[in-house]
Amino acid sequence: MTEAALAIVGLSKAFGGVKAIDDVSLTVPQGSLTAVIGPNGAGKTTLFNLVTNLYAPDSGTVAFHGVSLVGCQPAKIAAMGLIRTFQAARIFPGMTARENALAGAHLHLRAAAWRHMLWFGGARREEYDLVVKADALLELVGLASFRDAAATELPMGAQKLLEVVRALMAEPKLLLLDEPAAGLNDAETGDLAELLRAVRDSGITVIVVEHNMSLVMGVADQVVVLDAGAIVASGAPKQIQQDKRVIAAYVGAEEA
Amino acid sequence: MNLAIQIVIGGLLQGAVFAVIALGFSLVFRVTGVINLSQGAFCVLGALLMYTLQVSWGLPVMIAAVGASLGTALFGLALGAGTFVPALSRLPTSSMLVLTAGLLTLIEGVLLVGWSSQPYALPPFSGEAPVVLWDIRVATQGFWIAGIATCIIGSLWFLVQRTTLGMALRACAENRMAARLMGIDVPRMTLLSFGLAALIAAISGIAVAPITSLEFDTGRFFTNFGFIAVAIGGMGSFIGSVAGGLFLGVTEQLAAGYVSSLFANALALLVLLAVLLWRPSGLFASGPVRRTDVRDEQRIYRAIVRIEGRGGVLFAALAVVLLLALPFIFPSRSILNSLVITGILYIAVLGLDVLMGYAGQVSLGQAGFMAIGGYTASILAVTYGVSPLWGTLAGIALSVLSALALSFVTLRLRGHYLALATLAFGLLIDSLTVGMVDTTGGPSGLAGIPAFAIAGIAFATPFAMYYLVAGIIVVLVLMLQGGMRTGFGRALKAVRTDQTAAAALGVNVVRHKLAAFLISAALGSLSGSLYAFYFHFLSPEMVGAPRSFEMIAMLVAGGEGTLIGPILGVALLTLLPTVFQPFALYKTFAEGALLVMCFLWLPEGIFGALATGVRRLVRRAPVAMPERARL
Repeated sequence: MTEAALAIVGLSKAFGGVKAIDDVSLTVPQGSLTAVIGPNGAGKTTLFNLVTNLYAPDSGTVAFHGVSLVGCQPAKIAAMGLIRTFQAARIFPGMTARENALAGAHLHLRAAAWRHMLWFGGARREEYDLVVKADALLELVGLASFRDAAATELPMGAQKLLEVVRALMAEPKLLLLDEPAAGLNDAETGDLAELLRAVRDSGITVIVVEHNMSLVMGVADQVVVLDAGAIVASGAPKQIQQDKRVIAAYVGAEEA
Repeated sequence: MNLAIQIVIGGLLQGAVFAVIALGFSLVFRVTGVINLSQGAFCVLGALLMYTLQVSWGLPVMIAAVGASLGTALFGLALGAGTFVPALSRLPTSSMLVLTAGLLTLIEGVLLVGWSSQPYALPPFSGEAPVVLWDIRVATQGFWIAGIATCIIGSLWFLVQRTTLGMALRACAENRMAARLMGIDVPRMTLLSFGLAALIAAISGIAVAPITSLEFDTGRFFTNFGFIAVAIGGMGSFIGSVAGGLFLGVTEQLAAGYVSSLFANALALLVLLAVLLWRPSGLFASGPVRRTDVRDEQRIYRAIVRIEGRGGVLFAALAVVLLLALPFIFPSRSILNSLVITGILYIAVLGLDVLMGYAGQVSLGQAGFMAIGGYTASILAVTYGVSPLWGTLAGIALSVLSALALSFVTLRLRGHYLALATLAFGLLIDSLTVGMVDTTGGPSGLAGIPAFAIAGIAFATPFAMYYLVAGIIVVLVLMLQGGMRTGFGRALKAVRTDQTAAAALGVNVVRHKLAAFLISAALGSLSGSLYAFYFHFLSPEMVGAPRSFEMIAMLVAGGEGTLIGPILGVALLTLLPTVFQPFALYKTFAEGALLVMCFLWLPEGIFGALATGVRRLVRRAPVAMPERARL
């Protein structure tokens, strides 16, 4: 196993009396694609929110390439190379699809704002390069024709993809995707699986929270099953599919 | 000793009125989560209606009072039903705040048209002779005020805490959605709270009118102090509103009695800023905590207004040609004069646009920076002979420093409090420019300011000034265009619509808000300096708090979040009164009405409507969605 991109140890969080996350420990190897699955309310999104410090954990540690994330500002966590998407696509309204993609590149802007204000050549070239890159990514995921449309006018599936594009523009080391397949039809889910595989193969570590089993089983290297805030099982997709506890907690319920 | 007691009694009476207005704020805030800045205007409306009924028509006091109160409440209900309630479901809370500022201006406009701009005083309810108690003279009206305030406070408490209706009102405050599910008619409750607030404002206005001189714009005073009271006491807290009002009244009167009435306002505002800094939620535990983590996507949605590609370049070229040709198209001196003023104000509104339109932060104190810029440059030029250019730069530096200092307060604050801290700042600057008579010339203004000059070349004529301002505008718009279309502008827009998602992409939210605030302060200051050099004169009312509201109306009417749009709003509200002289009386009304109407029906402003129209015309088809993409 290579170096751990993300190491979660003994993470807990309670809301009132409900233990949303209960003593979760999880290691995500560098360059892997990890899927976190589990029934509704299992605490998957809460886990993401704890990792990106939208909520402070009650106890436990989260380390990203050995650096603790506990108490870090969300913007600082992003600057370290950990980029997330949201369960309900949180694209920016009032901007076109292309501008949304470009907003993802915020961390990689080199030219200061005043250089742009004075229309310096270097700044304009940088902007041009970013636009080319954003357009290429939009083309790749099939959003090219939406480029100049208001992002909020895109269909839901396209908005979710746009959010992935925006996250990719940030050139993350670790990408956290919160239910990227929600709202996508079967064909689109297949395309998304392709995209996720390509992202992983380009060296980006991916953690994806997902309901959609076909997506997860097709692309994940490691599957972690969460139920009632605790990890029930983890392992390769094949193993998980045969795990009785998992079937009881999740798969069984779905097939019954 | 007697003097002190006299002052404290005066303060308590004053405070009782503040407390009642603060209760109105609290009531509407608890039900809707919006601070209704139009609150104070209802006081004046009630009092002036009373004047008409009692003095002009000769009705008995009690009948006139009841008539005026009910009349104001009905007006409030109609206004609320037509504007406030429908807007509440459409606009984000920050826009609602600005909308109520528009309502305040609108009611002032109505008062100006109906009662013109002279001061009014009502006769006391029961004679002029004061009551003497242990050597202390108390005007009989004082007993009326105390009694009426106590009645209002008592019955409001009973209504809210002890009746089914009050329970419904409180339910709306706790959770609008749940209240709706329980069968409570939320819009009706909203309207009820709005009308009730208008009613109690009217009654308190009528009670206090005999000991205060009222003009069409005195409502601002009531709004400001009622708001300061409620902010000190704790937004949404019943006891807090009353205690805050009384505390503020006494502090104000003591400051006026022992220090100087000119600084009484400044002191009140400093108390407010201190409370905001030390205990942002007020001295008393406030009412229900409102959830701020709920995103409401529809309400922050805004259409994209832009003229792309070659069309944009063509449009820009046309605009520049038009800008250069205007003085020749309209050689009239008064129109040229208005054009220069339009240009100068546009610079300040551009700053406001960066802050409000792009970064989504509401500032109710932009004129404060105009004042700092204007007074710094003028005083340096008049008293110390500093050249206008250096004076202007010094003004900008001072404005940016003030903005930095203010941001120590505001950056810790969220939502409403932030906008209100800027309101307090604007009023503070206002009272300083009035109060520092030796430096600023006080209310009568500062005269003898030279013309703007660069390296010995003076821009003394409107013609020369026009081209100077036009040049500055072209440079500024180009610079802002460069900044707003690239990373900085995208980050600001991201912060405006979704701070969490912006931060998750590495945008430093605080720094971007601060940058936008500093830019707006700098542009406001530049505008203020040019304004003073153009008029060769500067008085507090030229750069006072009403100016801040006016600039917001200009921005919203023209089109926020675009660089060119605001100039249309500025031109509309500056040129119209010049071109149609009779319009001048209706200007305040038009400002308020325009702001409210744009919020309700033209959210992208005039420019947005024009740009969409032009685009449709050019493409000969509505903007079509591209076909469904293959994923």
